[in-house]
Amino acid sequence: MSLKYGVLGLLKGEPLHGYEVKNRFEAMLGGTWEVNIGQIYTTLQRLERDGFVRPLGPRGDRGKLQYELSPNGQKALDQWLAEPDSGPQQLHEDIYVKLLLATRIANGDLHGLLARQKRAYLQRLRDLNRLEERARRDGRVDLARLVRGALLHTEADLKWMDELSSERFGEEGAKTE
Amino acid sequence: MDGRTFFRAFRGGGGKNGMNSVGPNVAALARTELVRLTDVTKVYQGGITGALNGVSATIEKGEFTAIMGPSGSGKSTMLNLVAGLDRPTSGSVSVGGTDLGKLGEAGLARFRRDHIGFVFQFFYLLPNLTALENVLIPAQLKGSSATERASELLDQLGIKDVGDRYPARLSGGQQQRVAIARALINNPTLLLADEPTGALDTHTGEQVMELLGQLHRDGQTILLVTHDAKLATRNAARVLSVMDGKIVDDARLESPERAPSEVIRVRGEEASR
Ligand SMILES: Nc1ncnc2c1ncn2[C@@H]1O[C@H](COP(=O)(O)OP(=O)(O)OP(=O)(O)O)[C@@H](O)[C@H]1O
Ligand SMILES: [Mg+2]
Repeated sequence: MSLKYGVLGLLKGEPLHGYEVKNRFEAMLGGTWEVNIGQIYTTLQRLERDGFVRPLGPRGDRGKLQYELSPNGQKALDQWLAEPDSGPQQLHEDIYVKLLLATRIANGDLHGLLARQKRAYLQRLRDLNRLEERARRDGRVDLARLVRGALLHTEADLKWMDELSSERFGEEGAKTE
Repeated sequence: MDGRTFFRAFRGGGGKNGMNSVGPNVAALARTELVRLTDVTKVYQGGITGALNGVSATIEKGEFTAIMGPSGSGKSTMLNLVAGLDRPTSGSVSVGGTDLGKLGEAGLARFRRDHIGFVFQFFYLLPNLTALENVLIPAQLKGSSATERASELLDQLGIKDVGDRYPARLSGGQQQRVAIARALINNPTLLLADEPTGALDTHTGEQVMELLGQLHRDGQTILLVTHDAKLATRNAARVLSVMDGKIVDDARLESPERAPSEVIRVRGEEASR
């Protein structure tokens, strides 16, 4: 996920100070992505270098500097927004590799691992449900939408565990070694 | 046994000791055991393998427990045994301290009427009765106080306007609410729900689950069978996993207030070009 376009998107409409960009970005993500102010300034500097944003007013104390979107930045943002995310599916949690390894080296405790992982996913679903409930109650629509996406993902992961649990490993697991 | 059989059994209930005293609102703060299954097996006639193969579990008063597992794993069988709709092949089932195996047919019917509310996937409303009349089928109270209680329930479940409609003129979600009202009419000790959202779309299913959650917060003990883990974990802090007629996991979930970043982390790319 790109901080660069996040920053561009927030600058659409009105010029902002670096710390305002940070606050709005974190608010939009509902606290699920914390950025430090240094990252924001670095991103703004690069965007300025590439001609996507312009500082308003004289350079000096960077905390006092506001940035606005340039026409080029506007174009880049529109393009990015219109483009669907394609490319490979991102699977970054350990469990994917862990499970594949467990089918061949864990000596029969694959089912133990699956059971423990299922529990962890159930707990995650519980946490997500409670977070969604709170987000909706507090009118935090963006966060509620993110949680919804996460819930559906976790459900899919849980279904995968169920599929693996009902597979018969052994003969076939040995073959792949 | 399907829903229709159930309601024949329900209506045939006999006995007249009025409302049960163990209403849902006395949900115990202290942990009180409500259901106990001990080494329960169930082999259906003509069944090749057992539907339940040695199940032991206890359910406490006030708990919201979900039962999950693949198709044919024995979930409905388990629920039916707890409801006293069927008897185990071996082992024992007791509810509220009563060993159901010690009850005769009439005793079981009375037990169901006084202590069990049952909600099914396909509602099983009687088509020739209005919503309100359906709710009243198992009612122990008679006359105006029964009607009052039924109307109250319809109101509580958000369907008071449709009391005089026939089921054919109700949406699935409304029919399920009527079925829930019917299950609650006698203040059951235990509410059993077998895939109550299985025939509903996502949104309507969520509403029905929200209702069950509300009932639970008001103290109702609920045992829910579902294939939807997202929905189950909204309310259930305990999930029993069933496979091949056995309980293979008993997950007790925690419910702390966690900060968003402890629950979800949106990942940024490393500082780019
Ligand atoms: N009345 C019956 N007579 C014979 N066999 C039955 C009967 N009811 C259930 N079974 C069998 O017992 C096993 C468990 O069935 P059960 O209905 O409890 O499964 P379940 O977990 O509820 O499945 P599903 O998710 O499909 O509803 C299955 O093999 C089923 O075929
Ligand atoms: Mg079933």
